[in-house]
Amino acid sequence: MLNKFTYLIAFFVFNASYGWAQLCNNSLVGHVVDQHSGDAIAYAAVAVEGSNKGTITEEDGSFVLMQLCNSDKVLHISCVGYKKAIINLDSINGGNLQIKLLKAVSTFDEVVVNANYISEAQQATKKVNSEDISQGANQNLAGLLEAVSGISSLKSGGGVSKPVVHGLYGNRLPILNNGIAQSGQQWGNDHSPEIDPLVANTISVLNGVDALEYQGRSLGSMVLVEPARISAVEQLNGQSNIFFESNGRGAGLNLQLQQSAPGLAWKVNGTLKKRGDQHAANYFLTNTGVEEANIAVQLEKKVNEQWYIDAYLSSFNTQIGILRGSHIGNITDLEEALKRDVPFYTKENFSYTIDAPRQTVQHHLLKFQAKHLINSRRWVHFTYATQLNNRKEFDVRKGDRSDIPAMSLTQFSHYLKAGYTSLLGNNWKWKAGLQFTFIDNTNQPETGILPLIPDYNSYETGLYSSFSKKMDDWDLDFGFRYDRQIQNVAAISTTVPREIQRYNNVFSSYKLALEAKNYLSEDVYWLMGVNLGTRNPEVNELYSNGLHQGVGGIEEGDSTLKPETGIKVNALINGQLWHKMLFETDFYYQYIDNYIFLNPQDEIRLTIRGAFPVFKYEQTMAHIYGADLNLSYLFSSQLKVKGQYSYLRGHNVSDNEPLIYMPSNQLRFSFVYELERLAGFEKVTIESNYQYVFQQKHLQADQDYVLPPDGYGLFGVRMSAYKQFKRHRLQAYVKFDNLLNKAYRDYMNRMRYFADDVGRNVVIGLNVNF
Amino acid sequence: MKKVFHILMLMVVIIGLSSCEKDDPVIPNEGELITTLIYTLTPQNGGESVVLSFRDMGMGQPEVVTGTLKANTNYSGAIKLLNEIEIPVIDISEEVKEEGDEHQFFYLSTIEGLDVNYTDVDEDGLPIGLATQVVTKAAGSGELTIILRHEPAKDAPGVSDGDITNAGGETDIEVTFEVDVE
Repeated sequence: MLNKFTYLIAFFVFNASYGWAQLCNNSLVGHVVDQHSGDAIAYAAVAVEGSNKGTITEEDGSFVLMQLCNSDKVLHISCVGYKKAIINLDSINGGNLQIKLLKAVSTFDEVVVNANYISEAQQATKKVNSEDISQGANQNLAGLLEAVSGISSLKSGGGVSKPVVHGLYGNRLPILNNGIAQSGQQWGNDHSPEIDPLVANTISVLNGVDALEYQGRSLGSMVLVEPARISAVEQLNGQSNIFFESNGRGAGLNLQLQQSAPGLAWKVNGTLKKRGDQHAANYFLTNTGVEEANIAVQLEKKVNEQWYIDAYLSSFNTQIGILRGSHIGNITDLEEALKRDVPFYTKENFSYTIDAPRQTVQHHLLKFQAKHLINSRRWVHFTYATQLNNRKEFDVRKGDRSDIPAMSLTQFSHYLKAGYTSLLGNNWKWKAGLQFTFIDNTNQPETGILPLIPDYNSYETGLYSSFSKKMDDWDLDFGFRYDRQIQNVAAISTTVPREIQRYNNVFSSYKLALEAKNYLSEDVYWLMGVNLGTRNPEVNELYSNGLHQGVGGIEEGDSTLKPETGIKVNALINGQLWHKMLFETDFYYQYIDNYIFLNPQDEIRLTIRGAFPVFKYEQTMAHIYGADLNLSYLFSSQLKVKGQYSYLRGHNVSDNEPLIYMPSNQLRFSFVYELERLAGFEKVTIESNYQYVFQQKHLQADQDYVLPPDGYGLFGVRMSAYKQFKRHRLQAYVKFDNLLNKAYRDYMNRMRYFADDVGRNVVIGLNVNF
Repeated sequence: MKKVFHILMLMVVIIGLSSCEKDDPVIPNEGELITTLIYTLTPQNGGESVVLSFRDMGMGQPEVVTGTLKANTNYSGAIKLLNEIEIPVIDISEEVKEEGDEHQFFYLSTIEGLDVNYTDVDEDGLPIGLATQVVTKAAGSGELTIILRHEPAKDAPGVSDGDITNAGGETDIEVTFEVDVE
C-alpha cells in the first residue's frame, strides 16, 4: 500500500553525509521527511539511544549530531503526529541518512490511504510542492502560487504576473530566491518576479516569526522559492520535464542533472520555454509571446566535520511581449480602447514574433554559503550573495527607436549575512543574525527619455533574533528584527535646463512577531499570530516623476512620505475529523497606518500629448481583512471533493473608500478521482475543477475608468498517471484550462481595459526521472 | 572559532568600504520629445498669416497662443513640430514627414462652417496632414483640436477623410485652440 506514495519521495532530493571514525568525535548529518509527501519535518526530536545526546531538526528537516561515539548505534526520531522511528546506524552503509516518518494514525490499510490525506493538513504553511510545480511547468511563479488559498496574482496580460498575498504585493511582498530577497524593480505593477519556478522544489509563503530572519522590506508575509538540495546518489541522475500547450502554441523543456561525487555534489538545472501569441476566447492577443532561457548550478561540499559550504548560481533570461492593443498615448486613447470589443492591432493570424511593446529582463544570482558546526547544539552560517538585474522595456516609438528601450534599469546588489542557531535547554531554540544589503540602481541613458524613477544607492543593515519553544501540545515563537536603511538618491530635474537633484534619507524599521500553536488533539490544532512592523517608503514612492506610459497617467512621488506601520493578527484552525474531513481556515486582520498608495488627483494636467490624470503617492490609514476557508471530504479511498473560499476586503479608513487592486472573492471546487492502478499505470488521477471569481464590488465608480468586470466561472479538467519502468519513472499529464473557452476579464489583470483574458488551453506534459 | 571571527571582520570591512555616494546620472538626450507645435495659416489670396502655437516645456502650464481667422477665406495650413529642450532645436516635423505612412494628423473643429482638408500624401497616397487647406465660412467661434496619431490604421474607413473614429494608434500630440472667425 505504501508503494503508491514512493513517487513523492522520488521527488524529494536530500543531502546527507555520514562520517564514521574512532573515538567520540564522529558526526552525523541527516534529513527527516514525511514518508508520504516527502516534505521536510521540522522540530522532530533526534535522540541517541543510551546517551543524553540529541537534537531537534531545523525548518528544512535537517539535523546534525556531533561527538558521537562508536558505541552510539541507535537513533530514536520522534515528532508530534508521527510514529516514532528507530534507526540502527550499522545498517546504513556510508552515504546518506534520510529518515522517513510515517503519520501516526493507525496501521490499518484503510487508514493508510487517509494518511496521504492527512499529510496535507500538516501542509497548512501554504506551499506549492514539487509535483504541482512539474505539472504546472507552463506557468510562471505567480501562476503556480494562485492554487494556494489566499494567494492571487496581479497580471499585465498572460506573460507578466506577480503574486498577491492577503492583498499585499510588489513593494510590500518580498520574494526570496534561495533565501535571498530578489533584488529588482519590484515597484512596477507590470514587473514579474524574475525567477524560474522549475528550479524550485517548493514555493511557500512565510508569515510571522519565520519571516523575521530574512532581510526584505515587507509588512509581514514573504514568498520563499527554494531549490531542492542535491540528492546523495553517487551515479549521475536527474529528471527531464517537457510540455506543450495549445494556447500560444508553446513548448518548454526542463532538464536536471545531478551527482554526488565524492567530495563535491553538483546539480545543473536548465529551462527553455517559448510561446507565441495567446488566444482569448474569440481572437488572438497579438504580441503576447514569451521566451525564456534559464540555468542554475548548485554545488555542495563537506570540507570537514565542522565546515559545510555550498554555492548557487542562477541566470534568468526572458523576453515578454505586451499586448500591442494596450499601448496608449493618452487618456483619450484609453477611452477609445475601452469602447472596443476587439483590441486595436489584433491580427487574424498567429505569430511567434515579439515586437514592441515588450520587455527583456535578465537576472543573475550568485550565492555562497558556509555552515560551521560549533557543536551539535550550536552552529553559525555565513552567506554572501550578489545579484545583477537588467530590465529593458521597449515602447512603440517613432523612427527606429522601437529598438531603443524606453526604460532601461540596471540593479546591482550585494548581500552579507552571519547567522547563529543555538539549541538551548528545555526545548528552546534561539536564532540570531546580522545582515547587510547594498543596492545600486542605475538608469541607462540610452533611452532618450527622462527616467520615471531616479538613480540611487541603498545601504541596509539589519539584525534579528527569534526564540521558539516546543512543548507537548504547544509551540511558541517570538522574535524581532531591526533594519537601518540609508538611501542616496540622484535624480534629474524635470525643469529646463536639466539639473541633478540629490536626496539623502535615513530610515529605521522594526518588526515584532509572536505566535502560539496549540494541538487540541493529534489531528487538530489552532494558531494565533500577531505581527507588528514598519516598511520604509521606496524610491519610486518618494521620487517618481513623470508619465507612466502603461498606465496613461502622470505619477508624482512625495519626498516627505513616512514609513508605513502595520499590525496583523491572524488565527487559524486546521485539522481533520473522522479520517474523512479535512479543514483549513485562516482569518486575518491587518491595520496599516501611513499606507502608501497612488491617489488620483482632481487635477487633469494639460500637456502637448493631451490631458492626463495626475496620481500622487499619498498616505492614509487602511485596513485589510479576510478569511481563507478550505474543506475536503473523502467519500472513499478513490473520491475526494474539495472546496475553497477566499474573502478579502481592503478599505481606506481615513477617506472611507475602498482600496484599489484588491483581489476579488473566489470560490473553487474540485472532484478528484484516483485509481491506484489502471492498465499498467499507477496513481491514475482525474480531477475536474470549477473556479468562480466574484465581481469586485467593493470599489466606487470614480476609482477606475470602467466598472470592475463581471464575475466569471471557469471549468477545468486534469488527468495524470505514473508508470514505473526498471530504472525510470514516467509521469504524464493532460490539463484543460478554461475548458468551455469562456470570454472573461479579470479585475486583477491590467489588460482588462483592452482585451479578454486567455481562452481555452490544453497542456500535455511528460516528466521522466532517470 | 578563529575562522568565524575572521569572516565577521571581513564582512565589517566590506560594509565600511561600500559607503560612497551615488554617481551623477547621465542626462539622456531626449531627441524624440515634442515640446512645440506651430500651425501657420497663410491666406491663399494674400494677407497676414495667423499663427497658432502650443509650447509645453514640461514645467506646468503650457504656453498657448491662439489667433483670429477671417470669415469666407481659404488658408494654407502648415504644421511645424519642434523639440526646444535640446540645443540646437530639433525639427520633429521632418521626421514625421519621412515616416508619413506611420503618422496622420486629425483636425477636429467645433466651429460652424470651418473645414480642414489634407493637401499632402505619404508614399501610399494617403494623407499625412502636415500640409492642409483651411476653409472658413460664416463668422463664429469654437475649438480647433489637432491630434497626431502614431501608427494609425490609415486605410480604415473614413480615416483618409480625416475621421478619427476608426484610426486607433497612439496619440503623440493632442492640443486644442480657442479660435474666433470674424
